[in-house]
Amino acid sequence: MPRERFLKQSLGAQFANIKNARILVVGAGGIGCELLKNLVCTGFGEIHVVDLDTIDLSNLNRQFLFRHAHIKKSKALVAREAASKFNPNVKIEAHHANIKDPQFNVDWFRSFVIVFNALDNLDARRHVNRMCLAADVPLIESGTTGFNGQVQPIRKRLTECYDCAPKETPKSFPVCTIRSTPSQPIHCIVWAKSYLFNELFGISEDQASDLDHTSDENNKEEIAELKKEAAALKEIRASMGSTEFPQKVFDKVFTQDIKRLLGMEDMWKMRKPPTALDFETVNAEAANVDRQTLADDQKDWSLAENFAVFADSLIRLSDRLDKLRAAQETGNAPPILTFDKDDRDTLDFVAAAANLRSITFGIETKSEFDIKQMAGNIIPAIATTNATTAALCVLQAFKIMRGDWAKAKMVFLTKSTERVINKESLRPPRPDCGVCATAYARLVINTEKTTLESFVKDVLVKKLGYNQDEVEVSNNAGVWYDPDMAMDDNDNLEKTLSEINIVNDSTVIIRGEGDEGERVNLELSISNMELDPSAAAATSESFTLVPDLQTIPKKTPAVTATTTDSAPSNGHNLPTRTTAKRSADEAELDNDQTAKRGKVAEEKKDVTVVEDDGAIMIDDD
Amino acid sequence: MSTNDINMLSNGDTMDQLNGALDTHDAAAETVAAIAQAQAMSADEIALYDRQIRLWGVQAQERMRSANILLISVKALGTEIAKNLILNGIGSLTIVDSEQVTEDDLGAQYFVREEDVGRNRAEAASERLQELNPRVAVRTDSSNILTKDQTYYAPFQLVIACDQNLETMATINAACRLANRPFYASGIHGFYGFIFADLIVHDYIIERETSNMPATIKQETATRSIVGVTTKKQNGKNIETVTKREIYSPLLLANTSPLPDDIIRNRRKMRSVTPLLPCMRALWDFERDVHRLPAQNSKEDLTVFTGMATNKLKELQMPIESLTAEFLRSFLHNIGSEIVPTAAFVGGRLAEDVINVLGKREQPIQNFVMFDGENFDGPIYPLQTFLQPNGLGSVPQVQLTGLEEVQMQNGHANGLPINNAISSAPADGQNSIQGGDVETIAIE
Repeated sequence: MPRERFLKQSLGAQFANIKNARILVVGAGGIGCELLKNLVCTGFGEIHVVDLDTIDLSNLNRQFLFRHAHIKKSKALVAREAASKFNPNVKIEAHHANIKDPQFNVDWFRSFVIVFNALDNLDARRHVNRMCLAADVPLIESGTTGFNGQVQPIRKRLTECYDCAPKETPKSFPVCTIRSTPSQPIHCIVWAKSYLFNELFGISEDQASDLDHTSDENNKEEIAELKKEAAALKEIRASMGSTEFPQKVFDKVFTQDIKRLLGMEDMWKMRKPPTALDFETVNAEAANVDRQTLADDQKDWSLAENFAVFADSLIRLSDRLDKLRAAQETGNAPPILTFDKDDRDTLDFVAAAANLRSITFGIETKSEFDIKQMAGNIIPAIATTNATTAALCVLQAFKIMRGDWAKAKMVFLTKSTERVINKESLRPPRPDCGVCATAYARLVINTEKTTLESFVKDVLVKKLGYNQDEVEVSNNAGVWYDPDMAMDDNDNLEKTLSEINIVNDSTVIIRGEGDEGERVNLELSISNMELDPSAAAATSESFTLVPDLQTIPKKTPAVTATTTDSAPSNGHNLPTRTTAKRSADEAELDNDQTAKRGKVAEEKKDVTVVEDDGAIMIDDD
Repeated sequence: MSTNDINMLSNGDTMDQLNGALDTHDAAAETVAAIAQAQAMSADEIALYDRQIRLWGVQAQERMRSANILLISVKALGTEIAKNLILNGIGSLTIVDSEQVTEDDLGAQYFVREEDVGRNRAEAASERLQELNPRVAVRTDSSNILTKDQTYYAPFQLVIACDQNLETMATINAACRLANRPFYASGIHGFYGFIFADLIVHDYIIERETSNMPATIKQETATRSIVGVTTKKQNGKNIETVTKREIYSPLLLANTSPLPDDIIRNRRKMRSVTPLLPCMRALWDFERDVHRLPAQNSKEDLTVFTGMATNKLKELQMPIESLTAEFLRSFLHNIGSEIVPTAAFVGGRLAEDVINVLGKREQPIQNFVMFDGENFDGPIYPLQTFLQPNGLGSVPQVQLTGLEEVQMQNGHANGLPINNAISSAPADGQNSIQGGDVETIAIE
């Protein structure tokens, strides 16, 4: 077939395997669309694609399988339609669903020869990583940010898994920084989005994920004052809809609260004190504001312009909440509004309120365009980076499918003057990884006499330190003990090991579901020990572990970010690396070592780490 | 371009704004207003390009939006380049391709279908390319590019030639030089590909916080210099705006240029120079001499090609062991093949460079990228020979006049090409095959 001529020429005998391959693409967004095109055109026989998202206008600059007419439709389904046309010989199955849904279980994952991650969030990436480890299927993980992109092939027991390297967690801010002593635009944006907006239109601030309450104890008095402030704001909320409402809100947060803070003189010894705003003055100035400039989200609004947007959006939001109340049936919970970066009313309010607060604290203001990015965690994304990254994913797949793991690499796009891609050899799994590490040991035990109960209690809990409520015991015959089966309901406990097929020369898998500090997963080879009364008397234990337990590592934290990870070595941290700043002048850095040192130190100050929806990740050193 | 943008006004927000601004139905006034409207980006347009504007800013987007690009040949590689440029919102794309869609195209040219076989390739592909973004004017030209003189190239801000032989690339490059237009050439062979850039003289701007070593006007490398520095205070930080300039060689000179000194003098760097470079040069020689690509199963072609590649290796002063039998075999197997992942990488990287060049930001490719998708290699080599009046190669010195410096600082730099001369003859007589050097390499 002429369609296959070049594939046969370049791929040779491997092409036959590709034609029969059943593969999974998780995500049909920026990388996903490009991946599907590449995979369909290289003739992969059956491609499944999963995505729960729908198409948005801002996707169309890079997700090239989608058109304007597809906005609001399922990404997975539209992508299947569009990509099918590239090659009639390929079968595509689309799932408009969440990859974490139970239907996508380990057996389902096991039915693919390779899985591609084309995701935009940490949580789903981790989930697929675990599923691929459990199913023992190779995973090609990828990510992009701006001009940066990277690809990481993952194989159980052979390479690092996605969680072997620590991942940066979303950044949160101490309550007092947000409510009393902001010093950066982001503090004012979080205040507007997570405090003011929620107190007026949503649910109370305490539920906001970007507020850190850990140091509340040390600031008891201030926290108590802040609680009073919030309570007063709730009273003002009751007057919503009245003509005085905007002034009441303004007076409260930009005049009274600021004056109260000013009264706390200790607070301003080392900091620049805020300046309270006056409603009448600003209101009078705002009368002359040109409405046209308010539509320009690139512009830096003046005080009066911010005020005009603030007052206007406050009324718009009040009206909406009013209409929701009127429409709702009695007896239900009162309606609320939630912040959405694409909802103009909520964005206007948050942008204007944040800037007004910045002005009172002498912090630089931001354009609405920039605030949208910071409040909505928008990642800059372009067509070319997705195209080149997805291309590298498929080139990796060719190597993995023919078992040539030596040629599979960790690959990064780079803006160096010397090369367009950087590569690193894949690293072996981290022996203490909380997700993929498995230790191997031999257990010599009497399988005829030892019951499962004593195996769990004496060997696993007492000797090895697993948590009785979080450990799972399984072998090729099934799961015999797991945390969800309470001790009392487990009929197997009375059985001896040999009765549940744990016999000489068999293997038992011990999987701890607990957190760091616990031992990694364990594969125990069993040797039956004939009971010899004299031997048993000689030792206190009726079993022997070879080698001894010191060699079985404990899990290390896989979640918390470490500061050393942004080191220039490029480590092994996917989200950190995708967001590693490649300044526009890296070209010069290549030639100027002195400047480089200066620059590396500066990099940590940058405020752009963005990943995942719903959480702000900012380095605020 | 204007036709397309005016059409665009017939729907959506833009039309509403336009109606509000117009009191009469005077056709002339309407056209004037429409053009004015078309010059500033609409809110709808900013929303569409939101994620990329966040990367390069509105100004760069507006520069791209007013750019007319010429793309020569639209097979697998050309399709990827066209797709990316159209998605990113350039002003217009003109695709020149005099060939018909063949059955071979169906594998990797994913914007043509079986029913298109026999149609002009540019016309068939442009229909689906246009659907990617109605704001971009996609035009086609089915004539032979070799019939064009430099006046043809003048209306374009930038020219890209795909999958051409060296002679054709050099002819287009020469015409672009005469019209003072930046030129890219690119090609793929299975897992392998290359990108070449001749931007003549290209200025670009870098804005950054001033470090403890503020930028000064100086020569940075053989080809790059800093030609302007301005500083400003912004939010309490010192921001410097640095204008850099890259100077280029035309393809024929680049193709016979040695590796840069810093590589030749470094044994480790020399050992890691990709064998793809001599192989690409040898392939161009083969095409020039034999007027076709080496045949897959011809022992004679293999012998000739191997000899040529070995010569190129020696010319480049690369160690003989750089070119292994395994690499040569793999390269030869891939000659003439088009696969989508390679097209996507090479075309994607080239389009990224084009976008940044139009936006006058980021370091551009200087001047050869060699892509090896089998080994994940993508080195960039500055292969340069600068002609002086006496014919000796040397590095040009930057000498700024006061006026030029002001222009740089205003971001309107438009340096004159320092040298339009192109030598069309091979650099010396050493390109001929030297039979004695041919290694025997078994090809399966």
